[in-house]
Amino acid sequence: MSLLVRIHQWLSFLGNFTSLGLAYILQTIFILIFVGISFVALIYIFRKYMARIQRRVGPNRVGKFGLLQLIADLFKLLGKESIMPERRDDMAYKLAPIIVIIATMLAFMLLPFGNLAYFGSLAVTHSKVTLILMFGILSILPIGEILGGISTKSNYALLGTMRAVAKDISFEIPMMISVLAIVIVSSRSYVTGGAITGGLSLSGIVANEIIPYGIIEPLGLLIFFISMVARASYSPFDLGESDSELISGYTTEYSGMRFGLFYVGLFGMVYLSSFLISILYLGGSNGPFDHYVGFIYLFIKTDILVLISFLIWVTLPRIRIDKFVNLGWKYLLPLSMINLVYAGLFVLYIR
Amino acid sequence: MYKILSEETDKSGMKVLNIDKSDLVELMEEYKGKGYYLSSITGVDMKDHLDVIYHIHNFDKNDYICVKISTSDEKVPSLTKLWKAADWDEREQYDLMGIIFEGHENLKRILLPEEWAGHPLRKDYDLKKVQYVSMDRSGNEHVSFDETEGW
Amino acid sequence: MSHWIELNVGPVHPSTHGIYRFRVKLNEETVEDVDITIGYLHRNAEKICELSYFVNNIIYFDRMDYIDAMNMELAYLRAVETLMDMEVPERAQWIRMIMAELSRIAARMVGIGAVGLDLGMLTPFFHTFHEREKIQKIFTEASGGRQEVNYMSIGGVYQDFNEKIINEIREFISQFKGKLEEMVKMLLDSEIFWQRNEGIGILEPEVALDYGVTGPMLRASGIGYDIRKDSPYLFYDKVDFEVPVAKTKDNLGRFLVKVEELRQSIRIIEQCLAKLPDGPYFNPKAKKSAMLLLKGQGDVFTRVESESGEFGVFIRGDGGVKPYRVHARSPSFKNLAVVPEMTRGVLIADLIATIASVDAVAGEVDR
Repeated sequence: MSLLVRIHQWLSFLGNFTSLGLAYILQTIFILIFVGISFVALIYIFRKYMARIQRRVGPNRVGKFGLLQLIADLFKLLGKESIMPERRDDMAYKLAPIIVIIATMLAFMLLPFGNLAYFGSLAVTHSKVTLILMFGILSILPIGEILGGISTKSNYALLGTMRAVAKDISFEIPMMISVLAIVIVSSRSYVTGGAITGGLSLSGIVANEIIPYGIIEPLGLLIFFISMVARASYSPFDLGESDSELISGYTTEYSGMRFGLFYVGLFGMVYLSSFLISILYLGGSNGPFDHYVGFIYLFIKTDILVLISFLIWVTLPRIRIDKFVNLGWKYLLPLSMINLVYAGLFVLYIR
Repeated sequence: MYKILSEETDKSGMKVLNIDKSDLVELMEEYKGKGYYLSSITGVDMKDHLDVIYHIHNFDKNDYICVKISTSDEKVPSLTKLWKAADWDEREQYDLMGIIFEGHENLKRILLPEEWAGHPLRKDYDLKKVQYVSMDRSGNEHVSFDETEGW
Repeated sequence: MSHWIELNVGPVHPSTHGIYRFRVKLNEETVEDVDITIGYLHRNAEKICELSYFVNNIIYFDRMDYIDAMNMELAYLRAVETLMDMEVPERAQWIRMIMAELSRIAARMVGIGAVGLDLGMLTPFFHTFHEREKIQKIFTEASGGRQEVNYMSIGGVYQDFNEKIINEIREFISQFKGKLEEMVKMLLDSEIFWQRNEGIGILEPEVALDYGVTGPMLRASGIGYDIRKDSPYLFYDKVDFEVPVAKTKDNLGRFLVKVEELRQSIRIIEQCLAKLPDGPYFNPKAKKSAMLLLKGQGDVFTRVESESGEFGVFIRGDGGVKPYRVHARSPSFKNLAVVPEMTRGVLIADLIATIASVDAVAGEVDR
């Protein structure tokens, strides 16, 4: 039973075809609101948490405890004039933030959020290849960064884009190989030793993941975590932006809401990467009574990961570009290969 | 061989050497050989002539020496061949005091825009005349006496 | 290589904390040449000083190295008092010493925080500013000003220390020791911090001397010259402190020298507080009604050790109530000039780290 089926049942008086279409739209909106609210809460928590680390008070003016600060910021960004460079490539310039934000939102639509008591499983899509779709969508994100950087014809943005591309290339491969190890491990049940299907969908992986894969392959977890920090590009790997060197990297020439979209995309990636890590490596929504409250387990795991990410974000200095690329090619890539071999051996052993 | 016109001690207990400006480079070369480094260059406008005061410093002996020259035609030999520190110092004195250091390879204004009229530290500099600065697209500064062209 | 990019680091850039401009010639990420433009903050304080009375000029010196105002005042007043043969009472000298060291700590707090900030590490900056704020509260208590304090005046200080200020300083010092170690640990515990600083921005001692570099930058290049030790002013010869020297010549050395000097500053303040005598806090010759009539004649050049190095003040008096010529030998001006030598052939990220460790204050560079 899933959210889609429930809504479909409620709307059955409209006829099969109409109700199914409406159900798809409604459940998407439902999940968007669900993710959106938790996302807003997350940014509020980040700002408070960062303020505590930095001996500040944090947002405390708008609403009780500054809870409405984010909404005030949103209106501020919307009301701002969008100052655009004269020599820009207009279409690419305007398209870039939209690509970033749409790709981030689409990626959220693929996540299995686990079960919510009456509604069943919360997920927009139940496709069998969500894992492939997910990384396909994630590889659209850099296109937004590159378009945004190059279209402005600014030297800061150009350098920022070059760094962002170097970053994406050198960390994409270890990340994909460690995901491949997950697919291999989840092709056999380690309870019975028999072959199972569903290894290419996120929900299938969660269903197979009775023991979290992070325990089976801790090396994979480490590689994936580091790669995801690099993908989300926050400190110490915020080389694309690197605000003290290149002002703001590829987002230098953006202002107003267009910059706001990049900013939301950045936080979205932090959130998304935490979701992916908890789904792929920490058991996702599995836990006692997960048929009723599965999504709570997922959210707890994700939020802990997000807090760890924030802690890394605010306390580490930026790594230098050459050391950074070295880390990707010289350390993470061989380690991920070792991890892949280990995953294969593990599957052979449990058989 | 250089000639020291007079030697005195000033109020802060520093040795002061008064010399002719033609002897400057020779004297400074000798002090450089003794391990002295240039600390600062000061120009003073005495209305009928300009005084240029050099402070040199020996870190090992912890010794400061003040060398004074005066010039009536605004021209002074440059010390950039001896110490790199003279580069910016001489540019600053050229900029604000209008002393021309002969032999300085890059004698441009350093603090004020290149087109600025007059040298502000001169006693005859007209403070009532306001100069407005603006910047063109390539980042070069322009000076104008017209209020509407400034920032 | 012909394929270079010209990158503008400054005048409006997050890592040039004052306003100065580096035109960086880049070959991909490598810095080929740096051209420095200064003067964006130029106010010609030297000319303004010629136009006003000796005592009115103190505030213009505050605005030179605006993060280390007390030492600036001290430098100017040392020159003025030498020019006027003005005696300063003993208590006033001890008070000046305490304030100068507190100001040095406050300035270093900005410098150390900014090192973290320029390396992409936001948190230490807030912690250091928290401590700086406490010092500024003490300054406000003593002088009424936070940043441009105008506390010292000719022949003494503006206002005597009362019990409350002394207690505040004691309290600050006792908690600051722990906080300092915590802040330094925050930076030095990070492996990336070492990677970003060790062996970067090498400044050979010969080059440093040639360019007239002084202060922590010179001491980090292996030359242990500190005016407080080598030609003491105030009562620096009566207190016990060490001059830290680093042999590494790099950014890390400069950072460590600055940190160690903070520890020594705490020691100096503690000794000053213990030795603070009773007595008058200003010279009656310089009482307020007579302040504008003070005259001076002759040439003087005096120096103090400010947070960025040797700050010298040259004054020529013509016997009038206004100085005939004032010239400030500013250490940041010299320290900044050497940056192109230190950064040829490094990566752009290292250039930023080096600028942070040089820590030039634009107000003092441009005057």
